[in-house]
Amino acid sequence: MIYSYIRPRKKSAVTPEVKLLFTFFGITLLMLFITYAFLLYKDYNFVNDLNLIAQKNAVVNQNLSEMKSQIEFIEKENVLAQKIQTKNSVLKDSITNLFDLVPQSITLSQAQLQKNALILHGLTPNKDVYSFMLQAPLRSIFHKTYSSFYPAGDGWLRFVSTNYTDEEATIKEEVIENEN
Amino acid sequence: MKFLEAFYSKVFVNIVANKEGLDVSVEVYAKKVQVSGYEKSFSEIDESMLDFIESYTSESPYYYISVLDSSSTQGAIPTCLKNRLSYYQDVSDCEYKCHDSKWTYYTSKTNLYDMEKKYKRVGIDFIFSPFSVLAHFFKDKLEGQTSLYLLIEDYYISVGVFADMQLLYAEHLNISDYRENEELYIVNDEQDDGLELELDDSIDLEGINAIDDMDSLDSLDDFGDIEDLDSLEDIDEFSDTQDIEEEFNQEQEEELVMNAHSSSSDDYKRFFLIQNSINAFYKDDKYESEFIDNVYVADAVGVSLDMKRYFEEEMFMNVYIRRIVLGDALLELAKEELSV
Repeated sequence: MIYSYIRPRKKSAVTPEVKLLFTFFGITLLMLFITYAFLLYKDYNFVNDLNLIAQKNAVVNQNLSEMKSQIEFIEKENVLAQKIQTKNSVLKDSITNLFDLVPQSITLSQAQLQKNALILHGLTPNKDVYSFMLQAPLRSIFHKTYSSFYPAGDGWLRFVSTNYTDEEATIKEEVIENEN
Repeated sequence: MKFLEAFYSKVFVNIVANKEGLDVSVEVYAKKVQVSGYEKSFSEIDESMLDFIESYTSESPYYYISVLDSSSTQGAIPTCLKNRLSYYQDVSDCEYKCHDSKWTYYTSKTNLYDMEKKYKRVGIDFIFSPFSVLAHFFKDKLEGQTSLYLLIEDYYISVGVFADMQLLYAEHLNISDYRENEELYIVNDEQDDGLELELDDSIDLEGINAIDDMDSLDSLDDFGDIEDLDSLEDIDEFSDTQDIEEEFNQEQEEELVMNAHSSSSDDYKRFFLIQNSINAFYKDDKYESEFIDNVYVADAVGVSLDMKRYFEEEMFMNVYIRRIVLGDALLELAKEELSV
């Protein structure tokens, strides 16, 4: 029941000193909380970055292995290319030599270079020209030489010269040459 | 922050102004139990008083300072209806409160400002009306027949007439107005003829023997046997209205009354003012006049036995005097207001 003419002044358990204390502790706690939140954020960020870097690392490693395999493949290709180039140059030399072997009087119409064989088609004025001027050098190169002739109609002879090299004999010769 | 209140004790400081100065009482309560109490008197509001109060109020932020309204422009009105207040008193410049939806007590706003200014250094939380103190002090006696209730302070008397908890009449008297009232009383005496007739009309006079005007009684047949008024029979009827319980309590209070501090002349002044006030109650048409048998006195000053004798011999009333410690009365009101 209300008896008094006036209302009592507002009472508060929080005195100015306690308010100051609460404010101080409040600010301290807030700063601690903010620091904790900041550290949590940085930790979370760091873990995220770590994961990203790990992922990038995995990708880079994968790329590296792919590149290594590509390098190996390219190196192999290079070796192969060098081999082919050497072979080509050898072949070129062989063809050049072959054409150097053919005298002026004999006309070649077809030449087939095979692995261990050389087949030549052409015209020769006669068998002697062929035998002395072409067959003789071919015999010195190939181990087996077979020739066949048939008339061309104008007095000339068409010939087919089939020349083979014996691989075993070639290897033996190379070994002997190396030994020398 | 309300829950924090439970952890603190409550300090009640009660300040009562008297003719020696100021009585300050301090009561410390913890969880509705009184822990300690202190009292000290001061001649004025000075540093020593502030230090005394501060030494206890610093113990808890929940301290309440109560003062008793000691202004002369205050009173009580027997209604709570706002449109009826002005019928009894102009309360436009007053602060007023309704008591229990039955009656209103008021004081002037200027007085409240003055009191707040006076106790500015101390700071006050409650200003209680002496009528609230009176009603609270005699709450066990307010029910029942019409009775006069008095709160006697050094300089003031709060007069209240209650019947069945309802205030019928109230006046706040200042003892320093004694001279003026004396003159007023003489003027009233000249009009007594008329008053007696009015009383005949409105009040049951059975048992009343306080009639001075013999001439007017002669003209009334019903009251022809004047000698019977003093007979034992009438005294018995007079005794019927007595408060037996209070009579018993009076025996215990008697010693206190014997050690009265108040002088007989002061008591006569008080009686005189009260008598005038009762006459005003009987005469004023605004109030529902009912005959008063008993007088309950809340004595804060230590009135002499003469006071009791005046009422009994001159007004033929049963007088019951209870000592009241105003500081304790303020404490009770403050506790009730705060539900402690």
